[in-house]
Amino acid sequence: MAVIVRAENLAGGYAPGADAITGVSFALEAGTIAAVLGPNGGGKTTLFRALLGELPLRRGTVELAARPAYVPQTDRTRHDFPVSALDVVLMGAYARTPAWRRVARADRDAARATLERVGLADHARRHFGALSGGQRQRVLIARALLQDSRVILLDEPLSGVDATSAARIDELFAQLRADGRVLLVATHDVEQARRWDQVVCLHGRQVAFGPPAATLTTDVLRRTYGDELVILAGGDRAIAVEHHAH
Amino acid sequence: MPLDAPFIQRALIEALLLSGLAGVLGSWIVLRRFAFFAHGVGTAAFPGLVVAGPAGVAPQLTGLAAALLYAGGVEWLGRTRRVATDAATGLALVAALAIGVILASDVFEAPASVDRLLFGSLLGLSDRDLWLTAAALAVALVLDLRLRRSWLTQGFDPATARALGVRAAVADPLLLVAIVLACVVALDAVGALLVTAVLVIPAATVRLVAPSVPTLQAGTAALAAVEGVGGLWLAYELNIGPGPAIAVLGGSVFALVAAVSRWR
Amino acid sequence: MIDWLLDPFSGSLMQRALAEVLVVALACGPLGVWVLLYRQSYAAESISHAMLPGLVVASLAGASLLVGAIGGVLVAALAIALASRDERLGGDVGVAVAISALFGLGAVLALSPDVPARLGELLFGDLLGVTGRDVVEAAVLAAVVAVALALAHRRLALSAFDPAAAPSLGARPGRWELVLLALLALCTVAAVRGMGNLLAVALILAPAAGALNLAPRLPIALALAAALAALAGVLGLLASYHWHVAAGASVALAAIALFAVTLVLPRRRTLA
Repeated sequence: MAVIVRAENLAGGYAPGADAITGVSFALEAGTIAAVLGPNGGGKTTLFRALLGELPLRRGTVELAARPAYVPQTDRTRHDFPVSALDVVLMGAYARTPAWRRVARADRDAARATLERVGLADHARRHFGALSGGQRQRVLIARALLQDSRVILLDEPLSGVDATSAARIDELFAQLRADGRVLLVATHDVEQARRWDQVVCLHGRQVAFGPPAATLTTDVLRRTYGDELVILAGGDRAIAVEHHAH
Repeated sequence: MPLDAPFIQRALIEALLLSGLAGVLGSWIVLRRFAFFAHGVGTAAFPGLVVAGPAGVAPQLTGLAAALLYAGGVEWLGRTRRVATDAATGLALVAALAIGVILASDVFEAPASVDRLLFGSLLGLSDRDLWLTAAALAVALVLDLRLRRSWLTQGFDPATARALGVRAAVADPLLLVAIVLACVVALDAVGALLVTAVLVIPAATVRLVAPSVPTLQAGTAALAAVEGVGGLWLAYELNIGPGPAIAVLGGSVFALVAAVSRWR
Repeated sequence: MIDWLLDPFSGSLMQRALAEVLVVALACGPLGVWVLLYRQSYAAESISHAMLPGLVVASLAGASLLVGAIGGVLVAALAIALASRDERLGGDVGVAVAISALFGLGAVLALSPDVPARLGELLFGDLLGVTGRDVVEAAVLAAVVAVALALAHRRLALSAFDPAAAPSLGARPGRWELVLLALLALCTVAAVRGMGNLLAVALILAPAAGALNLAPRLPIALALAAALAALAGVLGLLASYHWHVAAGASVALAAIALFAVTLVLPRRRTLA
């Protein structure tokens, strides 16, 4: 199986001498969903930015078979913007449209199809800000799909998302994996990570990388989450406590 | 500059009173980042100033009325949630200016006084103006004495400020009221558009070098006094508006201090 | 009724004024939409206030006001950029210092010489005194702004709507915000002859605010803003002619009145 994403001793940050992440090494083959686990401030978003080439200071190697598509946490978009759901999805085609041309008809059709794929065909014309959190998240995923990249980075796509949307998104992930794409999903949900193919544990430095069975041990989780860990009775199941920044 | 002439003496007294306001309130304007609010109040008072003469009313009063209308308008626009606050402020300000222009040039036909209104008449004050400024200074001093801790906490740690209770809830609105009063008495002296020259520039300059609030206030009052008197002298000698003179003087000092303190 | 509408524009003076205001409106409208979406209303006002010295110097030197405006805007932008970078003060305070100092400088320059510059016209515009050449200059600037906005449309939208994901979608937000500020400066220069440096911002903010109130989608908002600005120009000139009031101020108030009207209309959330 071809390796689509590889990192070798990746390190870097925002200021000289203050690395936000260090020692990150992993390789992901086509058709993989990889969870990125870690506490807030532990480096998940920094890792994504490093993969996107947006980190000011970066050492080590990153190899990508394709420029990744990125789904940031939905809180970062402007909900008062005069755009419909379809408009947002179409943004996925902007990078490949020259400034003096209108967006291609093929891209418009693809955008509609992608919205249908995430189950929001009926909402195409609705104001983006008027959608529910889960629906907005699905639109942003659709936008990433329109970019048609083999690598997709998703930053906590399921946090604060209603059950219907979450189930849909889960299904979608499975389809994308079957498609041969690589998904990196930053998440707090250890249980969810167990169902996927690979896990990267990050707490500034990389604590572990590998299949869930090998990496999601209590010891690794303790080293990843530090104080934020809650061990359930029975000793081998752990839940990470989610802290939200204020 | 003839120091025995009453109008010069009044101008000097006003300059000193204003420097007191600059010291007390200007410091808070800078610390709490209310500079645009002050600029807005001054600008918004302009149409009020225009009608003062024809209506035979003190400009401070009509200016205050216009400023309150403006503040109310911005607040109301914000409540409708159909326009962002900074846009609402900009719109209200330009509306005030446009209304003022039309009143000044076409309704009351006083084009010559537009300059005065925009740039001040520090050299044409009456005793009443001095009393009003002194009253504003008194109010500012009293409020500062009682509320300075709330004002400071609210600026740097709003959560703690809430824990301080009821006082915090009225502290900020009272600060804004005090700023409005200060702007309103300043605008007759330095003009509607240059209120910040007196109330903000000296405090901003001293802020570049002063670490604590008391030092900031004292230093600002002193600097504002020097700039006020100096600007007054320039205005008299060069026959220009006192507001612009103070603004240029203040701006130059600021630039100098900023450059020097950055290079250390 | 038709006469009431058409008579004012039978003379060449009013025709030039109309041409000037229409040309400026077509740039200010759409630009204003971006200014509002990027939350840069203070920048818009600051730049136009602070460019006064440039205008005054040009006026006194007998040079073209266009040159003075460009010079003034550059100095203003530089001063504002320097002032707002000082972390000790916080952006607003530094900008307020820069604006009032420059504005004061403009007034000092304007009021001190033996033949004072016509400050009122610089501040509030001289819409009824524009020459054919002024209109051409404004048209060229407005065209540059309009074309640039059209080409930059998608990148501007990305950078404003989703700065976090914008780089991965093809637009670096910092760069495009700078582009917008540069276009704002150009548009202000175009508008200053007719509207004056205090009132120009009315044509930038008010029609755009009205358009964003009504339009469900961005392209509609941009077109509507241009239309509202143009309408404000026409209405302002009509008011100026029939009621003998200052032209620039009338246009400004017409723009704001139109915005006020949009506040009572229902907001559109979905397309029909």
